Amino acid sequence: MNIADLNINERPQWCPGCGNFGILMGIKSSLAELGLEQKDIVVVSGIGCNSKLPHYLNTYGYEGLHGRTLPLASGIKISNRKLTVIALSGDGDGYGEGAQHFTHICRRNYDMTYLVHNNQIYGLTTGQASPTTQKGQKTKSTPFGVLETQYNPIANAIINGATYVARTFAGDMNHMKEMIKGAIKHKGFSLVDIFQPCVTFNKLNTYQWFQEKVYKLSETDYRPDDFHKAIEKAYEDVWTDYKKLPIGVFYKVDKPTYEGELPQLKENELVGQEITNIKIDHLVKEFM
Amino acid sequence: MTEIIIKVGGQAGQGANITGRTLCKIFARSGLNVIGYPEYPSLVRGGHNVYQIRVCREKIYSPLEKANILIALNTDAVFFHHKHMLEPGAILCDSKLDLTKYKLDKKIKLYTLPIDEILQKAQADKRMENIILTGALLSLIKYPIDDLNKMLEETFGKKGKDVVEANINCAKIAYNYVKENLKPEEFPMKMERGNEKPKMVIGGNEAVGIGAIAGGLKFYAAYPMTPASGVLHYLAEVERKAGIVVKHTEDEIAAINYAIGASFAGARAMTGSSGGGFALMTETIGMSALAETPLVIYLAQRTGPSTGMPTWTEQADLKFALNSSQGDFLRIVYAPGTIEESFKLAAEALNMADKYQLPVFILSDKFLAESHFSCEPFDNSEIKNNRGKIAGTLPNLNPMERFRRYEITKNGVSVRSLPGQENGMHVATSYVHDETGFSTESFTKRFEMVNKLNKKLDGILKDIPMPKIYGTDNAEITFICWGSQLLPVLDSLPILKEFGISANAIHFSIVFPLDEKKILEIFKKCKKTIMVENNSTAQFAGILREYTGFVPDYYILRYDGRQHFPESIAKNAKKIIDSGFKCEKTIHIKETEDIEYYNTQRYGL
Repeated sequence: MNIADLNINERPQWCPGCGNFGILMGIKSSLAELGLEQKDIVVVSGIGCNSKLPHYLNTYGYEGLHGRTLPLASGIKISNRKLTVIALSGDGDGYGEGAQHFTHICRRNYDMTYLVHNNQIYGLTTGQASPTTQKGQKTKSTPFGVLETQYNPIANAIINGATYVARTFAGDMNHMKEMIKGAIKHKGFSLVDIFQPCVTFNKLNTYQWFQEKVYKLSETDYRPDDFHKAIEKAYEDVWTDYKKLPIGVFYKVDKPTYEGELPQLKENELVGQEITNIKIDHLVKEFM
Repeated sequence: MTEIIIKVGGQAGQGANITGRTLCKIFARSGLNVIGYPEYPSLVRGGHNVYQIRVCREKIYSPLEKANILIALNTDAVFFHHKHMLEPGAILCDSKLDLTKYKLDKKIKLYTLPIDEILQKAQADKRMENIILTGALLSLIKYPIDDLNKMLEETFGKKGKDVVEANINCAKIAYNYVKENLKPEEFPMKMERGNEKPKMVIGGNEAVGIGAIAGGLKFYAAYPMTPASGVLHYLAEVERKAGIVVKHTEDEIAAINYAIGASFAGARAMTGSSGGGFALMTETIGMSALAETPLVIYLAQRTGPSTGMPTWTEQADLKFALNSSQGDFLRIVYAPGTIEESFKLAAEALNMADKYQLPVFILSDKFLAESHFSCEPFDNSEIKNNRGKIAGTLPNLNPMERFRRYEITKNGVSVRSLPGQENGMHVATSYVHDETGFSTESFTKRFEMVNKLNKKLDGILKDIPMPKIYGTDNAEITFICWGSQLLPVLDSLPILKEFGISANAIHFSIVFPLDEKKILEIFKKCKKTIMVENNSTAQFAGILREYTGFVPDYYILRYDGRQHFPESIAKNAKKIIDSGFKCEKTIHIKETEDIEYYNTQRYGL
């Protein structure tokens, strides 16, 4: 498969200059470079600007409900482990409405990839505060400034057991590709939180704002194999008052996947089984 | 009829349920018919639990209000049940229990055993007290003990020879103690072995579980909630043996979305819940309909609204199931009336979900879900599983082209492609979409897509069977019921016959969609109709009226937390007839005595 095979005859319905264009390109090139087949990829989304993305990608897709990307994607992965399952979300969708699913999927370590388009604002509903909007920022739903502490997806993923936790920036195509490819290749649950400027509703966290502050962990002597240091690193943005925003792999560890520990899946996938001749005698016997 | 009704009562945690279930199994193994019916409050220790065992040589359907024998595990049991005994009646308990404060009817015989002594003799521990009472009960009704011994060997075999022996000793000593000291021959009740082919004994939840497996279920996701949890427990227990995956998710919203995901991937999937848990799932039901991802939802009703009375029963979620989720869309709602239907319709639900690519409900309730019934061993040879329209080899797509997953067809059903399938790429979406699945706000496409989804109704109406008629033709009165309330209705028919009243019943095991013409044809043959529902507003009568225009003559409604009982249905139907059909149209059934098993301290217990 080459990158053109992933194209579709539809024009993306995003604002000109939206970070989603970059992310779409990042996903397409990652998939093409990994040599995956279109038919074996399922891209699952919720509701939000990011969630339109499966429509612009010629693979299988499911655009589900607000906040419910992860359980939907989990059901797909458990049923057919041969598929490459990529769940997409946004900061409102994934860290707000669907935060409980995010917590628990980290504990389960399904072999799938979670890409969160984190623009620190609600886009599709026209500019309200999201869980990752910075404290004090004025939005339509917080005209006097956000009072809450900013949600920390990186730290949350690490403490709940995610095995590949990374962050990237939609304005850096090569870095983004590297993170996404790393996440897809990783055997286990991977989060890539993507800094994505919203050109329409977020006038604070702009391309320029990010460009001045992001730096690559891979260019330092940071190693993503220490749980405690990873959590410390996850708070660097807050502790430096957003002067330094590390991007790269914060934490990576190998652990068994949930679906790999199900003996009933040792020989078969749940899909593709013959169901015309099911035996129930051994089950009925228990009630005799 | 040769029947005995036994109640085992005690505190939550004392083992009334397991004792009752053991007895049910013993009787059914000889081919006798049994119904096991638990009642318990929503607490883990304390309160009062009771399990009724109705055993009969003839076919029976429902528990009854009163019992012949009460096995009292504590004095509370006597307090709650001694006024609800039949003749002949007996109480069986430990001789330690002080029953002097209860004015027992002189007709009730008291049989007491020195349980501590027997335990000592058998070298058994306190936990085996219930085995002693089980042995004593069998002796009292002159039923052979061998079946109990065999069952104890099976149950405790894994725990070693000593445990098995101690249990068997308890049973034997108690059996002989009653025989030698308590003159069971003077108690006029006797049950012989059935001497027929063994029957199985199974609960409504487990029957749905096996039925779903027989129907090709591969994935079940749920969050625990009484009374639906039984399906989760059962399927989780057998998941490895059955080659399925069961997931207890973080909440009900996750559960239903996992199930949708599995179904989209191509595995037959189901979710289940009750009351408030189901309320959380509702948004996703509309997605199943619009994205045409097959889904089966098991909804076991309990007493509502809100948290309600968690361990009690009601049929009040019918309209909620029918209208759950925003927007107009088609769904199928099954409401099994018997244990056999619980099994068959679970498989049927999965097949219909695949065939019509929409949400299908199995509506049960605490009464059917948690009661146990003897029946012929389940046989799935008549269940024909069919995946519906799933694509075989697909023609090549042009570059940038997608598979037309939602192609407009005559019957509204389009061919599905499953992820992994060559040339089948498409997006399923919760938005209105065109034939390839691409989101659209085109008025024409929207119009066409709504018509496509609604078209499925014609096929469904052709596929679903008509309501079933039980009993004689030309009856004086006809009961109309749906779901579990068939059971007490069926057992009210012979009682009415004794009163000299001919009655029959029409039962709906599919409550939606309804075929107006065919249903009205059936109602035409009825003289006077009485709607029997387990809710306060006759919800199904409302649905019938909306879709067929039919209005029943009378209503017998119950909504105090219990299901209908055959005796009170018969009594009230008789009242209607005795009034010359001039009484109030609606009869609200209420328990004659104000009792509760939850706050037992209010009785000084």
